[in-house]
Amino acid sequence: MPAKRISEHPVLEFQRGEKFFFDFEGKKIPAYPGDTIAAALYAQGLQKFTESKLLKRPRGFFCAIGKCSSCIMRVNGVPHVRSCITLAEEGMKVERQSAMPDFPDVALPCTPVNEHKIEIAVIGGGPAGLSAAIVAANNGADVHLFDENANLGGQLVKQTHQFFGRYEEHAGTRGVDIGKALAEEAHEAGVKIHSDSTVLGYYPEMTVTVDSSNSLEIYRCKGIVYATGATENFLAFENNDLPGIYGAGGVQTLMNEYGVTPGDKVLMIGAGNVGLIVSYQLIQAGVEVVEVLEALPKVGGYQVHASKLRRAGVPISTRHSIIKAIGTEKVEGAVVQGLDDDWKPIDGTERTVECDIICIAVGLQPDNHFLRLAGCETKHVPELGGIVPLRNEYLETTVSNLFIAGDSAGIEEATVAILEGKLAGAAITEKIKGPSSELTTIKEKAILGINDMREGPYGKRSKKGVNLCTFEGGCIG
Amino acid sequence: MGCTGPEGEKMTVIVCRCEDITEEDILAAIEDGYCEIEILKRHLRIGMGPCQGKTCISLLERILKRELGTSSDKIGRPTARPPSRQVSFAILAGDDHE
Amino acid sequence: MTGYERTGVLDNNHIKKPSKERLERGPVVIIECVENIPCNPCVEVCPISAIGMEDINDTPDVNLDGCTGCALCVTECPGLAIFVIDCSEDDGCLVTVPYEYLPVPKKGEVVTALDREGNDMGDAEVIRIRESGMTYAVTLEVEKDKIWDVRGLKVKK
Repeated sequence: MPAKRISEHPVLEFQRGEKFFFDFEGKKIPAYPGDTIAAALYAQGLQKFTESKLLKRPRGFFCAIGKCSSCIMRVNGVPHVRSCITLAEEGMKVERQSAMPDFPDVALPCTPVNEHKIEIAVIGGGPAGLSAAIVAANNGADVHLFDENANLGGQLVKQTHQFFGRYEEHAGTRGVDIGKALAEEAHEAGVKIHSDSTVLGYYPEMTVTVDSSNSLEIYRCKGIVYATGATENFLAFENNDLPGIYGAGGVQTLMNEYGVTPGDKVLMIGAGNVGLIVSYQLIQAGVEVVEVLEALPKVGGYQVHASKLRRAGVPISTRHSIIKAIGTEKVEGAVVQGLDDDWKPIDGTERTVECDIICIAVGLQPDNHFLRLAGCETKHVPELGGIVPLRNEYLETTVSNLFIAGDSAGIEEATVAILEGKLAGAAITEKIKGPSSELTTIKEKAILGINDMREGPYGKRSKKGVNLCTFEGGCIG
Repeated sequence: MGCTGPEGEKMTVIVCRCEDITEEDILAAIEDGYCEIEILKRHLRIGMGPCQGKTCISLLERILKRELGTSSDKIGRPTARPPSRQVSFAILAGDDHE
Repeated sequence: MTGYERTGVLDNNHIKKPSKERLERGPVVIIECVENIPCNPCVEVCPISAIGMEDINDTPDVNLDGCTGCALCVTECPGLAIFVIDCSEDDGCLVTVPYEYLPVPKKGEVVTALDREGNDMGDAEVIRIRESGMTYAVTLEVEKDKIWDVRGLKVKK
């Protein structure tokens, strides 16, 4: 049984509405309200979503959150639809496409292009974006928030574990509940929320183009907070593109957001917090985690997360890496190998691991395409996960009135994302609406909170990274 | 390294999922003198598929670092151009043409 | 590098242990959190402020004499790293562990006790079970010589 819908879960409740059907290559596929096309297909055992362009290799999804584009399909005659973030609808016609698909069968209606003048555009509706939007709206700004997903909350919606951090920043609460609370707060604060709205580009003078449920909207803004998070890193090994090899976050989305298990036996690559947490959640969903591999000599994530897994009997092998995925149509196993102190595979240590799913949890890289379009100066900072924009203390980039927050400013914990959102939200509102004592207080408190989070052995690395890309001086212009 | 197994059999290590570019393709291109990220992109189409390099470019960066010893800052990123995500022509066309 | 950094498993040398007298007086908390993680829900939830922490990055410092072993922190800790040991009764000791899997055991049920590496530590009866925010604090009866090893449970099929 490769995949199944979760019926019972220790932490989550999946209240599925009324079942409906859509068509997939002539087959009737059951789906429930809120299912994406990809989730509904996966629940029926489909792993091959497309065939690769030149080598004609089978491909599955990788990220499940609309970033990797490995799940693109032909939907109602239109090719290149990201099936992982497009909701299934009754009677929809879904087909696999090759990577060089035919023209659409249908002429899409050309819809009006609308222009809007707004004060603040917040791009990304996760912890950072929502927090920024709430602060700005509560302090009198006209705030529009754009997110390409149907639901707000970003990656919080799949975090079933209780959060670490400061009690007043929701620590001890499950991420999924924090996401709901922030989304509710944003509604109440009067943030104009545009879900299913994909930001396509940045144009001069703070202009943003948005694909908003099939019409092009142009927003001319006074300021922008960019908070679209990060993309999961991919890993190079033989057969690394087989269906069954997914980003750990992608599996987390499938399992915790849509209630579909990825398979039976998972090999987890990476013992950072993401690898450890997703492994634990897989066990909660009734999936066996056969082993966690870590190339580093020690576990990268928190000891308490590793201890939870070990108590559940999951082995963690440090100084180990995957060298090959076995299988032709999908994963049927893996070959792993020990590494020496110079990261070289040790001869004779190869062994086969029985698994049907391989999860890759080898870090995240900040989203930066939009920021590079806008002309922000960037720097490669390994401590923050890759290329990040230069910023001042208040998270304004080298482009005046363009602020950043959350993982797209550098990979850190969700608590930091919330605090950065508050800081950027207050700073941008101050610039656009003028200073107030309330905004000053929010800024000061957020900075103190962020600094606290960056103390200690785990936070120190982020602190070092942030110091490398923070420039002196207050807001520009 | 990375292109043949211990018995000399061919191995497939995919770097760019969208455009089907393997590690072998990249090593061959480097061998041919294509050593910069922007040039490799134009030569191989790496990073030019629907995901716009979100998955592959960091792997490519790692390969360039390993093979050429260049620093990450020097490798940088290919020029960013809109759109950031795939979009239908109908959306871009608007309704100003009857 | 210490062993747990490589294995994820703490050994008893890393843990602040109550005295024999304290253990025999009544339930007391055992906190298995040794890294400087920025996290403080255990401090906030303790009704008698028996857990101290000057800076959010400090490890929790429990006042073993003050602690009543109420186990509120067991279900609040996001790391599931807090346990309660009670050796006040003559016949058998009690170990309370956090639990977030299915199926949830019932009071009186005999389950398999597990150590920090998931090894079978023999049968244990569930004496009490309390839920808070979908995390359960399950109190198991175990032999005295196992109180420093039993840290988990598995429901029998």
